[in-house]
Amino acid sequence: MWLWFSKLGSPRWFYELSSKWLPWLYALMFVMLGVGLVWALLFVPADYQQGQTIRIMYVHVPVASISLACFPLMAIAGTITLVWKMKLADMVAKSVAPIGAWFTGLALASGAIWGDQIWGTWWAWDARLTSLLIQFFLFVGVIALRSAIESPDAAAKACAVLAIVGAINVPIIKYSVEWWNTLHQPASSISFDAVAPNPPEIWVPLVIMILAVYVFFAISLILRTRNEILQRERRAQWVMDLVARDQQK
Amino acid sequence: MKPHRRKKLGIILFIAAGLGTAIGLSLYALSNNIDLFFTPTQVAAGEVTPGQRIRVGGMVKEGSVSHSQEELEVSFIATDYNNDVHILYAGILPDLFREGQGIVAEGAMRVDGIFQASRVLAKHDENYMSVEVKAALDAAGQVPGMPQGAN
Repeated sequence: MWLWFSKLGSPRWFYELSSKWLPWLYALMFVMLGVGLVWALLFVPADYQQGQTIRIMYVHVPVASISLACFPLMAIAGTITLVWKMKLADMVAKSVAPIGAWFTGLALASGAIWGDQIWGTWWAWDARLTSLLIQFFLFVGVIALRSAIESPDAAAKACAVLAIVGAINVPIIKYSVEWWNTLHQPASSISFDAVAPNPPEIWVPLVIMILAVYVFFAISLILRTRNEILQRERRAQWVMDLVARDQQK
Repeated sequence: MKPHRRKKLGIILFIAAGLGTAIGLSLYALSNNIDLFFTPTQVAAGEVTPGQRIRVGGMVKEGSVSHSQEELEVSFIATDYNNDVHILYAGILPDLFREGQGIVAEGAMRVDGIFQASRVLAKHDENYMSVEVKAALDAAGQVPGMPQGAN
């Protein structure tokens, strides 16, 4: 277990292994995104209250759920950086920040489009919306903090601390709709009964879309992390060999 | 795990737990300010001063909506099934506005106890289904998951 853990921390090992994963992930993403999008946009029945607007859910829920996963991931990577000083963990933490900011921004934007149609407003100072906006600013803050500190080690530590502290916001976002009166509705509970609220015909394509966007997220994170590895290890022998091999082709 | 690492991890967990508790307690203390709207029960309990700009949320009471013949003015009652608030509003209502629907009205309480709204937003619940499923459920006489507006 500890051997595996320290091996995973080796950037070279990750780089080589992820080269093997990527083609599979691309294939998985295209299949799932294709099936999910066609199903959600063309075959899901219109909602009895919201009509066609329900299709926004198939984009909004996946991006929002991933934006909520990004911060804990950054916090875990930050903890590993602080405690075990694993190089790869900080590379992941650095790579996930802009992706998280984008997903949070997309969740806010798709929610605003949906709210404009259904609520009658694109924004309200509702606990869910406000806490998600705070998460967006936290991501921007982490990115800014990283570029503001010149020493990479000091920047890694500072960002790790901010990520751990900022992760406290995630349960607040998650449970805001239950703790307080909000305009945003609470989370739906799914039903296996075809004649019931939230039947499988509604949630099966949603699950496919969530998984598809998760795979997209994984690909983006792996690509960014690989970039980061090459940049930081550019003086390492294995990276030089890699570049030399590429130039010969 | 090496002792110095265990110590470091302990410090991080301790700080995170401490901050979490502090933030949790302050949010709990600020609860009333974080709520987006007052419920009709809170209004009935006198938590609202007339003239103060607030939001009131509740369900539109069945049979309470009456539209003015000449103007855009609409009058309805918002309820949380315990207490009612009479709301007046002149303006365009969201498409989802109808009897039995959760709404949030922004405005101020008049001295006569009527809520003058300057904006009405529609809440929607967390239950999604097709028109056919809804019709089948209605035919079976079930009303699953009462729409949640105010609690």
